[in-house]
Amino acid sequence: MNWRGEMGLSTAASVNTTPEGVQFCIFDLRRGQQEGQELDKILFFYPADLPFSTQLSVIGLSEGLITFTRIFSPEAACEVIEAERHSHVFFEAEPDIWMVMVVEKKKESEAIWRIDALRKVLMEVHSLFVMFHGSIRALLEKEPGGGLARSHLYPFIKDYLSDFLVGKKLLLPSFRDSLKERGTVQMLTVSREAAIEVQSLVKVIESCTGNAPCYSLILFQDLLVSTTLSPEDTINLFTYAVLRLTPRALSSGVSSWSYLAKGTSPHMATAFMMAHSGPFPEQFYVPRDTSPAGDNRFRVTRPLRHDKWSKGKDGFFVTDIWGMEAGTSVPATPTVLLRQTEERMYLCAHQHKNLTVIFLLPLSSILNREQGISVMKQQLLENAALKISKVEEKLSKGWGGENAYHVGGYRYLLVDGDRNVSRTSPPGKVATLTKESLLALNKLREEVDLDKSRAQWDNAGHEKELEVSIRAKNNAWVIARVTRGKELYIVLEKANETLLYASDAVEKFSNRYCDGAFSLD
Amino acid sequence: MSLDSTSSTSADDSPDPASPESVESQLGSVALSEPVAELASAANQVARNGVGFATASEGGDDDEEDADMGGEEGPVGRAEEEVWADYGGVGGLAAAEEVGEGLGGGGVVWGRTNSELEVDEPASPSSSGYAGERGSSGASSGELEIGEVVEDEIQEPRSDGVDGVLDSQASWVPGKRHVDEDDASVSWRKRKKHFFILSHSGKPIYSRYGDEHKLAGFSATLQAIISFVENGGDRVKFVRAGKHQVVFLVKGPIYLVCISCTEEPYDSLRGQLELMYGQMILILTKSVNRCFEKNPKFDMTPLLGGTDVVFSALIHSFSCNPATFLHAYTCLPLALATRQAAVAILQDVADSGVLFAILMCKHKVVSLVGAQKASLHPDDMLLLANFVMSSESFRTSESFSPICLPRYNPMAFLYAYVHYFDVDTYLMLLTTSSDAFYHLKDCRMRIEMVLLKSNVLSEIQRSLLDGGMHVEDLPVDPLPRSSSLPSHLSQPKPPTDSPERFRETCDWIAGPAGLWHFIYRSVFLDQYVSSEFPAPISSPRQQKRLYRAYQKLYASMHEKGIGPHKTQFRRDENYVLLCWVTQDFELYAAFDPLADKALAIKTCNRVCQWVKDVENEIFLLGASPFSW
Repeated sequence: MNWRGEMGLSTAASVNTTPEGVQFCIFDLRRGQQEGQELDKILFFYPADLPFSTQLSVIGLSEGLITFTRIFSPEAACEVIEAERHSHVFFEAEPDIWMVMVVEKKKESEAIWRIDALRKVLMEVHSLFVMFHGSIRALLEKEPGGGLARSHLYPFIKDYLSDFLVGKKLLLPSFRDSLKERGTVQMLTVSREAAIEVQSLVKVIESCTGNAPCYSLILFQDLLVSTTLSPEDTINLFTYAVLRLTPRALSSGVSSWSYLAKGTSPHMATAFMMAHSGPFPEQFYVPRDTSPAGDNRFRVTRPLRHDKWSKGKDGFFVTDIWGMEAGTSVPATPTVLLRQTEERMYLCAHQHKNLTVIFLLPLSSILNREQGISVMKQQLLENAALKISKVEEKLSKGWGGENAYHVGGYRYLLVDGDRNVSRTSPPGKVATLTKESLLALNKLREEVDLDKSRAQWDNAGHEKELEVSIRAKNNAWVIARVTRGKELYIVLEKANETLLYASDAVEKFSNRYCDGAFSLD
Repeated sequence: MSLDSTSSTSADDSPDPASPESVESQLGSVALSEPVAELASAANQVARNGVGFATASEGGDDDEEDADMGGEEGPVGRAEEEVWADYGGVGGLAAAEEVGEGLGGGGVVWGRTNSELEVDEPASPSSSGYAGERGSSGASSGELEIGEVVEDEIQEPRSDGVDGVLDSQASWVPGKRHVDEDDASVSWRKRKKHFFILSHSGKPIYSRYGDEHKLAGFSATLQAIISFVENGGDRVKFVRAGKHQVVFLVKGPIYLVCISCTEEPYDSLRGQLELMYGQMILILTKSVNRCFEKNPKFDMTPLLGGTDVVFSALIHSFSCNPATFLHAYTCLPLALATRQAAVAILQDVADSGVLFAILMCKHKVVSLVGAQKASLHPDDMLLLANFVMSSESFRTSESFSPICLPRYNPMAFLYAYVHYFDVDTYLMLLTTSSDAFYHLKDCRMRIEMVLLKSNVLSEIQRSLLDGGMHVEDLPVDPLPRSSSLPSHLSQPKPPTDSPERFRETCDWIAGPAGLWHFIYRSVFLDQYVSSEFPAPISSPRQQKRLYRAYQKLYASMHEKGIGPHKTQFRRDENYVLLCWVTQDFELYAAFDPLADKALAIKTCNRVCQWVKDVENEIFLLGASPFSW
């Protein structure tokens, strides 16, 4: 690594962000602690063309504050630095491996953030990374020079961030996304009859692989229908499916679930257009320390690349992302690492119309690799094809369309923290809210985030119970309810002025749509 | 590279692109990490050696200052009868350098307050030059226990009784505590709320806990963080880590930092730092900045020597005086005629060249008069009252002291003539003239005569005993009972609650309509009235918690950019809080957590009506400081 030479040339060191207003870095506190080797700690930096002195300056401040805050708060180091012009959001992804995102605030524009929402972006990209590539630490241990980890991180995060890219700007979740919750799944509500069909499909899939466990995840459009995975693994695979596999993801190249996709921001149209055409210029992500020779040392798969999945005749997805099986022209089947069992699984995805079924087969259960997988797929189809089309038909019939979960008069977000499930007003409906209401909600959510995190540190044994109703300056009611791990946020813009009216509206919503979870009696 | 040199570079926003960089790149790797690394290793050491220490600090911790202003009647105290007068006679302390000298000359006074530092022995160099004057009281041992005792047992830190001073002497420890600690002490790290003042070169000026001089390294780290961000063209507001928040405030060459795990919102902590800065300006004026212009490494500590008690009293008030976040003052309830008598005599005096004449009872205003067009900001009143009440010497003699009102004119000194009529009631006459002592003394004697003649002073004592508005007395009937309502405020109540009354009390503070407490802030008057605490909120800890809840509600309602909101209803495990903000007033009310919404709203309406009915007695009307 010839970074040392660059050290002397440090130019303008400042926390100033680039025109895009976003910086994103990953560094390892265990590396580069000796003078002259500071660059060694950088595992990822966006934009990669910033001078190293600037990169080190951002990381130096982060490191300094991590150490500083541990003096007082050893159990939880720095989470955020708020400055007048920037927010620095911290996330310790793995022990001593930190992700820091620096975003510029612009009061006049849309750049008003909720820190927790930004942190969830960091968490999400890390979870997805680990699912495909394993932990960053493991990569560093495998190749202590760090080249292996870097060469995996750069393209992965670049591909991930491209979903937020509008033109040359990264549009991160802002106050306009206050009625969304990243890191949760959205479920389809199914009739009892359909549920029985789904259940029997799941059983058939399970029985296909004999003794080896076969996990499955079933989605209808962008909504989860069923899962046999742990909650954590479910979120990761659900997220990936919605980003790259569901019919909408395939047709638009942009996930419908992405914060950019559904008309919440005026940049919408561009979002769609740019997403295809705008891969990052290579120099934005290729670490400069890796000479072409060095880069090629590691064969890197890019699971988040756009437009790399296609549907075969049998309904199963094919991709060349994972290369070809050695010595053949058969595309290698992707593998993912399950968090819960720490087991590596083959990922097979099948799509019939609006129904996407993901099968996960343990590597250990398949003997002849692609040949074995192919046999297994055939077996699955033979047993389940009929059920799949039956289920699809049932669900399509009962499907209420885009606005299925709209509740007239309400704009809401309902989060079940225990099950990691959320449901929200359709994005098109949320977009009708005024900026004032959304800003007030954003602020209220920030307060609740803080309360929750404090309750978590207090670990008082009981979960946070909270009810807040605010009548904002624009007369909208902005409401938050937290109870037994569930959260409900509601904005009522055309409501009567009395608190009792607003409370009554929440009560009705709770009784009707939340099994009374937020009802007072 | 030394931190000092980095900071002096960073201090002047040097346009030269070359030098800050190199400084910076080293700051990145050296300055930020080195002191921090030192701290970290020191921490490890302490952690290894100091298990006992750590446990000792667990419970005794208090962000909470139990300690209020000095309750101590040390033997040194009586000596300086005339010192303040003499001090004033020295005159013209306009420039801060002279302040240094002036305080040096008047050091006996400050040293005296310093004598309340109970822990540190004279060996410590912390208040350079005054070490010899520090007494050590017997309270020094086991300060952690004291913290606990105070937190749990003191009923009313701002001692209500006539013999409050004696009471308090027994229980709370004034001034700075834990002077033996520094940043390597586990106990120091576990304190819930730290306040630091430092100079832009990283020199410590004030620390709530620990000896400033031993905290030089820590202070340099704080400076490094601030200037590092500043060099990036930004300004750090706060850092959050778990339950901890580090809040920064930069005021020219003065940096203020609060490190807290008290769950107070950023806006509130920042407001507290603003008040800390204001308190400093009140003592020194802003012209102290000039010292830093001349010498960036100027050491300010001698200028503030002995003022620890003033700052610690202010910090204490952050958790027990709503004026610190409401930016309003409160009045002692008095019959209209009584207050008018007091206003009249003060007005008389004000016409004879006094800028402000203020009669106060503890932190409550009895009457307040300003010369034409002069207006007094509630924050200035808060800081002035804190300064006077926390400095023991004011109690024992009439005094004449240079002070600065930061909101009125941060650059200039005024002169305050202060005289206590009794243990709670004091008069402050402010003037621009440094040689007005004898004139003001005459004024005071005239005022005293009138107050005695018209029984104002005894009425004040009676009002103190009766207290203000009790939620138990909230009229049931929504119609104003104008004749009977005010009576409870101006007439003595039955000595103790009769059984009948007690039952009524229970009805009010429990159950679905259970109003526990309220604060009503009149927007036009810049005044607030706060009800007395009922039984469910009797301990200082409970009261502090309620104030913190109000503070949070206030911050949430007045959120910058989107506020003020109109209404807020908030229910958590501790309270139901209702807030209502209009153009005329703001109402903050606390109810039993099980309170019924509809009843709570009705109750709030009744409270507003009640306040309007008795406003003649609880507010100083027609005397809004801003309305002259």
